[in-house]
Amino acid sequence: MSIGWALVGVLVIAGLGALGAVATGSRGRALVAGVSTAGVGVFGVLAGVSALGGEAFSKTIPQLLPLSEVTVTVDALSGLFCALIGGVAVIAGLYNIGYSDGHGSRTGQSLLPLFVAAMILVPAAGNVTTFLVLWEVMALVSLMLVLAEHRLRPSVRDAGVWYAAMTHAGLVAILLGLVLFASKAGGESFTALRDADLSTTTRSVIFVLVFVGFGSKAGMVPLHVWLPRAHPEAPSPVSALMSAAMVKLGLYGVLRVGLDLLGGGPRWWWLLVLVAGGVSALFGVLQASVAVDLKRLLGYSTTENMGLILLGVGAGGMFAADGNRTLGSLLIAAGLLHALNHAGFKTLLFLGAGSVLRATGLRDLDRLGGLVSRMPATTALFGVGALAAAALPPGNGFVSEWLLLQGLIHGLPGADAVVAVAMPLAVGVVALTAGLGVATFVKAFGTGFLARPRSEEAAGAKESPRTMRFAMLVAAAVCAGLAISPASLGPALTRVLEALPTVRDGSPLEGGVTLRLTGIAGSISPVLILAGLFVAGLLVVVLVRRGLPRRESLVWGCGGTRLDPRMEYTATSFAEPLTRVFDDVLRPEHDVDVTHHAESQYLIESVRYRQRVDDRVEAALYPPVLAAGNKLGAVLSRLQNGSVHRYLALGLGGLIVVLVVVGLTA
Amino acid sequence: MTQLLYLICGGLLLSSVMVLWRRELSAIVRLLVVQGVLLGALALVLAGRLDSVELVVVAIGVVALKAVLVPRILRRVLRDGNEARETEPLVNVTASIVAAAFLILLAYAASRPLVRLSPSAETQAVPVGLAMVLLGFFVLVTRRRALSQIVGFLLLDNGIAATAFLITGGVPGIVELAVSLDVLLVVLVLQVLTARLRTTFGGTDIDELRELHD
Amino acid sequence: MSTLGVVVQVVLLIVVAPYLVGVMRQVRARLEGRAGAGAGQPWRDLRKLFRKEPMSPAGSSWVFVAAPAVLVASTLVIAAVSPFVATVSPLDGVADLFAVVALLLLGTVALALAGLDTGTAFGGMGASREMTVAALAEPTILLAGFALSARVGSTNLSAIVERGQQSPGAVLSPATLLAAVALAVVVVAEAGRLPVDNPSTHLELTMIHEAMVLEYAGRDLALVEFASALRLTVLLGLWANLFLPWGVATTASAPALLLGVVAFVAKVAVLGAVLAAGEVFMAKLRLFRVPELLAGSFLFGVLAVSSSFFLA
Repeated sequence: MSIGWALVGVLVIAGLGALGAVATGSRGRALVAGVSTAGVGVFGVLAGVSALGGEAFSKTIPQLLPLSEVTVTVDALSGLFCALIGGVAVIAGLYNIGYSDGHGSRTGQSLLPLFVAAMILVPAAGNVTTFLVLWEVMALVSLMLVLAEHRLRPSVRDAGVWYAAMTHAGLVAILLGLVLFASKAGGESFTALRDADLSTTTRSVIFVLVFVGFGSKAGMVPLHVWLPRAHPEAPSPVSALMSAAMVKLGLYGVLRVGLDLLGGGPRWWWLLVLVAGGVSALFGVLQASVAVDLKRLLGYSTTENMGLILLGVGAGGMFAADGNRTLGSLLIAAGLLHALNHAGFKTLLFLGAGSVLRATGLRDLDRLGGLVSRMPATTALFGVGALAAAALPPGNGFVSEWLLLQGLIHGLPGADAVVAVAMPLAVGVVALTAGLGVATFVKAFGTGFLARPRSEEAAGAKESPRTMRFAMLVAAAVCAGLAISPASLGPALTRVLEALPTVRDGSPLEGGVTLRLTGIAGSISPVLILAGLFVAGLLVVVLVRRGLPRRESLVWGCGGTRLDPRMEYTATSFAEPLTRVFDDVLRPEHDVDVTHHAESQYLIESVRYRQRVDDRVEAALYPPVLAAGNKLGAVLSRLQNGSVHRYLALGLGGLIVVLVVVGLTA
Repeated sequence: MTQLLYLICGGLLLSSVMVLWRRELSAIVRLLVVQGVLLGALALVLAGRLDSVELVVVAIGVVALKAVLVPRILRRVLRDGNEARETEPLVNVTASIVAAAFLILLAYAASRPLVRLSPSAETQAVPVGLAMVLLGFFVLVTRRRALSQIVGFLLLDNGIAATAFLITGGVPGIVELAVSLDVLLVVLVLQVLTARLRTTFGGTDIDELRELHD
Repeated sequence: MSTLGVVVQVVLLIVVAPYLVGVMRQVRARLEGRAGAGAGQPWRDLRKLFRKEPMSPAGSSWVFVAAPAVLVASTLVIAAVSPFVATVSPLDGVADLFAVVALLLLGTVALALAGLDTGTAFGGMGASREMTVAALAEPTILLAGFALSARVGSTNLSAIVERGQQSPGAVLSPATLLAAVALAVVVVAEAGRLPVDNPSTHLELTMIHEAMVLEYAGRDLALVEFASALRLTVLLGLWANLFLPWGVATTASAPALLLGVVAFVAKVAVLGAVLAAGEVFMAKLRLFRVPELLAGSFLFGVLAVSSSFFLA
């Protein structure tokens, strides 16, 4: 199918789905919304796959927007992101059928297909106005989706305010950057921007502005504060869409503007991206490793993974700026592959967390547990996702992190001092991130799903409905496919890199069973590793199967026999050594309340211990900004005294100022 | 001979990092002794390479001062006080070591142009001296006890001495003598200061000095 | 013929692993003035345990049952793909240094999950500590790998070993020496030996590895014990072949393989004896000083990488 028709399909189904969801009653609403969201996703995947297959599409519709025209351009880079978002949408849509069955709000359900459509169309935008309009539509719709459950929890409103403020601050940065770009280039279509001949200073200003904007969308530290708030508070299919798909559009923006429209640029741009990525990865994983709210943990893990992706893109951009295209293309391919992998496993994990939330009403890992016998399918599927997220073989996250490391370690020969300092540190950051990531997901899976339930809600959990399990199974299958055969994505990734003129350099990876790199001696075979594990495991099982049957026993309690679930290790206690090791960075707060008996202060009635780990970046950077904003607001509020005449006078004054400025500068 | 030079430089770097890792102040003083001996050995090796008798004299002076005299004074400070350990440095030990890794990388990167200027075995090792200077500064910035401050200062001085040896084959003897006397003087002054601190505040946590402000 | 090399290697490791533990215990016993039970005792213990019935604590799940098999399987895959006896192998290129490291971590994770699955405080405590140590050891391993591969231009283990054989002088270069120290610390940490963990402790509160496997019995315990012996052998073997690559067969001929086997056994036995002898003079480090040790090894890793660049 041609890309054009697929995009028309996206729009039509989204419109029909939204109308349908508005029209149906609470019983069938989730079904309509879910099916149409999945349908939009299917068309998104179709458009993306055709673009990745080499088809290109460009269409201009004049006068659809005032003062501008709508341009739609789809190349392989757009295609990759269309397909990624579409794929996530298919799964999240299917999941929504069971998840929101009977209690999905009218607004929330009808906006779901529109959100997906907006996200799919953002990478298809072909000029600045179209891009910005779609970007804003996406932001607004997602904001309303985040707020969908605001009647149930007050914390949703707080998250909504943060999200609204941050996403619009980001939009302002992107707007400034792109408008400056368009005005200097003398045209707003991407083609005109590509051909523009700008001074290095202008280009740098544009890049920094858009990087700040797109970085905030990608959850980059220190602009990440909205992410661990908004992603947990949104309904789970929306969390999956935001965390797996929407943040990737930040990456798309950096690649499109930085490497395509601005055509590369000096090396310090990419060093900036690399450093921002490294800091985000480390900070994200540290916060995730001590988080006890399952969805918050997954949110911070998104910051971590986006950080790794940006680190790869930054390093790739640096090598490309130095003229080393082999490594540049390898690292950017690693980043893109990790984006795909992350989309796969993060969808699965958020949906798994959603199933737990639906079955128990809990996100607190300290109160979960014991789900392995109560929700066996969800547990197994979440386990698959956790394996991938921990970047362990045979999961898919391992392959892209391996590629990233390969790219980083081969830059040393012929490097200068900056690269020679940056690369070891980058490898250290990736390694520590990987290590802490493993600990994080052992904690999430081990304390959330295994052992005995730590609360009555967890003890009463029931397995999710079939559609939800099926959606998660699809996500797991996608992860498995990406894990087993990453090399089959080679041609598609090559086409994407061809869309980036400064890094274009043949195919970065090839091979069938064994994944090989071009220009670098390195290979692994995910399939054979998996097969080896399987065969060896089978051998072990067969060899030791003979003998006496298994017996159930009491657990060792140092002589005590009645072990309470309260004596189990919780997520907080699991993370305690890490909290202590990194206390300089995390600064946890401890509270110990000792209540004494009324009769004697030497007898203790109860001891309460509380530990909180706040986001330290947020605590350090945001209060001053907020205080300044409040002060400014207080000053400005003096302008507002209720007199209509004053408001009209302000309007007139503003108009006169604009006219004077125009008159003087024109 | 070149191998020996590198070995000594490696030893200098290792002993500087070990200062960050050990908490026992007596162990740190012992490390300074090792460093003094290594510095003397460095001067001797360079004397051999450059056929300089003056350097042999300098080497003897360095060992006498840095491995015998100064440690003796430090031990006396340690004996008089009751603080045997550096408790709660401003940056914990793990972070200090990671920071040390970064500082050493920085030293290597920063001294690259210098090494390129005249590539020889001596200049190849110059980053070690620079790294010692940076680590000494780091100790000064992050450690609380007055004795640790002296240690940081000595580390700094050792770094400067090592750099000077490696770049110029040793500063002229008279300058070296003057600098060494300065160091001795500073150590003595700090010793007196430490004693005063202890009588005034009951400890040598130099953060207490803040109270003297206004 | 090269397939024979893989088979020989795997069988050799399986046979040798418990003996290595036996030798190490024997060395320790002699140094402490005891007679010792002989190098064959671990095999006798395993035979006894394999005959006993396995037990699952109440409330645990399939994760507890599957973990020992995953642990053994991941270690066996490493035994098959790494160049312990011969560098020529049909499996060369299946897994490089990073993949081997990740496979080791996979085994650790399986056991940690099993520890959590038991639902006891000890299991969780062991899992938590083990994962902390594993997470903090990761940067050192990868940086040391970086330093080793920078010389060769590849992370392929066979390539590193062969390059080491071709230029014996390079083994004494500062980069390699620093990487060797860094990796030695990590091997000790990963294998759960002193001063990071005490494999023969009987105090639950000081345990790391043992606390995780406290609930295993019978053939499950046999598998876990066997796997930890195999992991120790694999780690020592990898360290030996990366830094002392002599004797590893580069052709698949029978004499070369025989030499490879002899060299491997000798190297691992000597390293094991040295490690055991060192442990006699060492006490376990406080848990919260272990990160300092690992930070130190990280420093060595960074220095290894930078010296491979700056001193090149």
